Amino acid sequence: MEEARVRMKTDEYIVEMKNITKRFPGVVANDDVSISIKKGEVFAILGENGAGKSTLMSMLFGMYEPDAGEIFVRGEKVKIDSPNEAVRLDIGMVHQHFKLVENYTVSESIVLGIEPIKHLLGVIPYVDIKSANKAVQELSQRYGLEIEPTKKIEDLQVYARQRVEILKMLYREAEILIFDEPTAVLTPQEIDYLLGIIEKLRESGKTIILITHKLEEIKRVADRCAILNRGKLVDVLDVETTSTAEMARLMVGRDVLMEVDKPKAQFGEEVLIVENLFVEDMNHFAVVKDVSFSVRRGEIFAIAGVSGNGQVEVADAISGMLPIKSGKVSLNGRDITDLPVKERTDAGISYIPEDRQSMGLILDLSLAENLVLKSYHDAPYSRGEILNKDAFLQHAKEMIEAYDIRSGGGATGMVRQMSGGNQQKAIVGREIELGSDLMIFVQPTRGLDIGAITGIRERMIEQRAAGKAILLISLELDEIMAMADTIGVMYSGEMQKITSADDITSEEVGEYMMGVKHA
Amino acid sequence: METIIIDGLSYALPLFIIAIGGIYSERSGIINLALEGLLGFGAFTGGLFVALLGKYFTHAGWPIYLSFLVAAIGGGIFALLHALLTIKFKANQVISGVVVNIVSVALTGFLTSQINASVFDQPSNRFLLSVLPRYTIPVLSDIPVIGAIFKNVYPFSFMIVVLFIIFWYIFRHSRYGMHLRACGDNPQAADAAGINVYRTRFWAVVISGALAGIGGMSFAYSISTNFSPAVYMGAGYLAIAALIFGNWNIMPTLFACLIFGFARSGAYQLMRELALPSSFSDLAMTIPYVLTLLLLIFFSKTNKAPRALGEIYDKSKR
Amino acid sequence: MPDSNRRGNPLLRFFGNQRWQFITIPLVAILMSLITASIIVLILGKNPLTTFQSLLQGSGFIPKPNYANFKNVFTDFVDTVDAVTPMIFASLAVAVAFHAGLFNIGVSGQMLLSGFVATIVVGYSPLPAVLAKPLVIIIGIIVGALVGGLIGFLKYRFNINEVVAAIMLNYIIQYTISFFINTRYVDPVSRQSRVISSASRLTLLNVPYGDIRMRIPIAFVIAILLAIFLWFFFAKMKPGFEMKMVGLNQVASRYAGVRIGKTLIMAMMISGALAGLAGVSYYLGFFSSIQPNVLTSVGFDAIAVSLLGNSHPIGVIFSSWLITALSRGGTYMSSMVGIRYEIAALIVGLILLFSAMSQFIRQRINALISRSDRR
Repeated sequence: MEEARVRMKTDEYIVEMKNITKRFPGVVANDDVSISIKKGEVFAILGENGAGKSTLMSMLFGMYEPDAGEIFVRGEKVKIDSPNEAVRLDIGMVHQHFKLVENYTVSESIVLGIEPIKHLLGVIPYVDIKSANKAVQELSQRYGLEIEPTKKIEDLQVYARQRVEILKMLYREAEILIFDEPTAVLTPQEIDYLLGIIEKLRESGKTIILITHKLEEIKRVADRCAILNRGKLVDVLDVETTSTAEMARLMVGRDVLMEVDKPKAQFGEEVLIVENLFVEDMNHFAVVKDVSFSVRRGEIFAIAGVSGNGQVEVADAISGMLPIKSGKVSLNGRDITDLPVKERTDAGISYIPEDRQSMGLILDLSLAENLVLKSYHDAPYSRGEILNKDAFLQHAKEMIEAYDIRSGGGATGMVRQMSGGNQQKAIVGREIELGSDLMIFVQPTRGLDIGAITGIRERMIEQRAAGKAILLISLELDEIMAMADTIGVMYSGEMQKITSADDITSEEVGEYMMGVKHA
Repeated sequence: METIIIDGLSYALPLFIIAIGGIYSERSGIINLALEGLLGFGAFTGGLFVALLGKYFTHAGWPIYLSFLVAAIGGGIFALLHALLTIKFKANQVISGVVVNIVSVALTGFLTSQINASVFDQPSNRFLLSVLPRYTIPVLSDIPVIGAIFKNVYPFSFMIVVLFIIFWYIFRHSRYGMHLRACGDNPQAADAAGINVYRTRFWAVVISGALAGIGGMSFAYSISTNFSPAVYMGAGYLAIAALIFGNWNIMPTLFACLIFGFARSGAYQLMRELALPSSFSDLAMTIPYVLTLLLLIFFSKTNKAPRALGEIYDKSKR
Repeated sequence: MPDSNRRGNPLLRFFGNQRWQFITIPLVAILMSLITASIIVLILGKNPLTTFQSLLQGSGFIPKPNYANFKNVFTDFVDTVDAVTPMIFASLAVAVAFHAGLFNIGVSGQMLLSGFVATIVVGYSPLPAVLAKPLVIIIGIIVGALVGGLIGFLKYRFNINEVVAAIMLNYIIQYTISFFINTRYVDPVSRQSRVISSASRLTLLNVPYGDIRMRIPIAFVIAILLAIFLWFFFAKMKPGFEMKMVGLNQVASRYAGVRIGKTLIMAMMISGALAGLAGVSYYLGFFSSIQPNVLTSVGFDAIAVSLLGNSHPIGVIFSSWLITALSRGGTYMSSMVGIRYEIAALIVGLILLFSAMSQFIRQRINALISRSDRR
């Protein structure tokens, strides 16, 4: 292993980015960044969210053009003005949000853009899906990326979609492979598998650029690591000779304080009781099957699971966003199974949804309006049918202060203009201010930087101390392990296991998440 | 029964070709309410061609065939307007469609009168077309009942069937068709795969204009044998209803157009059989629309528009 | 970008002020279309200035050289007011639906049905004016609201695209009413429906005033008041706020506790009611009879008029005015300048075309500004 690493390394630089600067309205995403990547190495780019990692690599992949600076590939100066150009230079990228056509099959998605063509009667061209299927099959076997070529994308799980994205690059015979936060939504076991694939790819001579903020991954697979902080290059380090603590310090620009201080739990009576819950999706497909659990006052009950195993649907069903097929949900002893959303909110449910931009906020309304999204019917925000916009503004001013929400346009600025972290702060603030007995947090820290993550976790602890019942749903096992008092694991719509957080290791949780271990 | 089939087909097929155009546009992600204006402008250019140059042809058939070609070109060119507005100028697609329709009615109205006045020196708002010949295919037309399909067929019906096969093939099996469908489902993904989303959508809209032009020309011939503002009778909107009913797929849309065509001719036939006065034809005319609405009630629940339909794609925003 | 207003070229500064762009951008669109129209007129060998002058004269904005008996510039102007009234209602109808994220392309059909019902129930009755006129308005509101509500219901309950449902209903209404008019209410000479009683008509005719006789469109006042109310409704009222929420994001609105179905149906009912008012002020005001088998273009033009007015209730008043005045000046312009009256429709089309590009114009202007800022 170590030998292989040394052998594949040569001192020839395959990619050089020199003095790259990229500005977006209001921010400098990359400020005079220079990096050089050797052929055949795994080069990690480490930084917090918003540090400019993805922007830097998007320029290498031709999605943006730098405002200043030069890019060299294999020693030649290049102008990469489109992904097409990048592909021509044998560069491929797996984006954080997969770019797949939902109603295409796996092989259609892979060959899209460079389809194999055959001719009917020797003249009429058509896309030869059969040979595409075959090519995909071969490719997937060669790299151990098992997948069924004729399956539709919309029927695939997250890890399988990621495989499609990887195969897409390999089909295009890319030599330089960029992975943008590839492990964010995978289980420990899937991460393990993926890192294995990355190692295998390096052995076959590919150059790999890994964008991440997870230090363990870097430690495991990367040869060198560039650290970005607020758009600036801090350092390029040899991974073997640097400690993770050092990397973390450089990444954050200060000493890291990740552990939130969590006092011992004091459980009260049961606030939420879910009994034999069944939920169906739009196509009458059962997505939640016979799920039962309860959350007590002062308890953080966390549901772990791989994306798409019914956890979000549990939250949606409790909050009234999805109809309940059968079963019973009660809140403080009151049956709320069939109540509409509004009445559940009034009964005492706060809900921080997974999708903050399309569910939690109305992006084209002002911050002030979004902060009263659930309370505009009540005094002082309205009297009778008339809204009191002055009260909206007054409230917004207080919230901006209390929750440190930063909005360029102030209270009347559109939420769309705000950063993801500040949007999330606005939602969390609004939901906490409702003062509900039950607070549902779904993926509350996704895509946020460490500062914001710590802030939100502290809020959660604070609410727990105030005797609220908290239901946390997260795809990130680290978050579950850090926050939960009680852990429930869902797989394929069923609750596999419910146990106290003290009695289970993250590896065991991972096994339940994969469905390999049953209670 | 025979009349129902003959008349039904001669209405359903032009409607269908317009709807195929709509499918191209909408599956690429561009809502196309402009079909009405496109078919009208196509028919206008075809009619203008016949009025200006028809007399120079010795064989009476040529101006007819060429008029369809000209109508396709005219519809395609006018579709540039919708393409520019929605793709380049990022206009709201529904509004752009409505505006294109209004401009089409205004422009063709103005041009027809102006040209009739200054070129032919006569006050008229129409261009006269010749009566189309109709063909009966021997042998096949002798088959009982369905033989009617091959009786008294307009030449455009043959043309439309051929175009249908070609454009179905392109849609399903060609590289362009595959790219087009990707653009309507996830333009970001198409872009990442190196497909030029703007160009793909641009051509899809132009194709929809050309096909609508052919459909419009067919209606101009079959319904009134002239081009006049009467060609704007709502076939474009009906085509949209048909393609939505057909769930944005070509084959089910054909089915929808046939139902509509046969309901229409069937209702007329019923009036005739019952010997009702002509004023009842208005009542008969409602039947296809009522039927469509009822069918929509039953079949819309599972309807799924292309995911990116109506979404303004801006490459610089991701 | 408050800084940008203090620097750069004054024209850019004027159009760049984002607070005023809701009015400056439509002005750019109008300007561009007038330039284009001028070029067309020049190509036809006529003088654009006299063309536009005669358009304004024809619609009563500036005096004509001479007038027939009992007429002057004021009567022409009031005639235009009479014509603009249905357009304001119709454009408000489109605007309300648009705020809730819906397209009411069925305004013309809703106009026809409410006009027809009011005609046969009130127009042909011997009711006195005090009863007849309010009744006409109430019927207009109710019938329009029912048709609009039906479209909203079909959308919510059966997932039927509102554009398609509205188009189908347009045809069904058009043909059904044509049938009834032709079989029962036809005037054999005009081939239209029989003229309604003057007591039921919303426009008073030949009201003497000094030495002129003029029309008084009663519904115009209602239109203006409603526009002002709707402005308040969307800016300050709970249901208006909810409609805007639903129009911007249905999922988030549901999450916030808004009843989507109720809101959609209510928006379509209000939109339909406004279309109904457009219908009665058109068929029982501006006109006094119904032409069978024809849907008025008012309902379709209203979509674009609403766009030109930025879907803002007050903006819609001005854009309705502009578009109606242009179309009405056409006949007079044609006789004075000697170009075809269809050119007026073409100018209208051009204005709408350029206003459809408003988003792009805005982007361009703002891009120019940020570029000049950087220098």
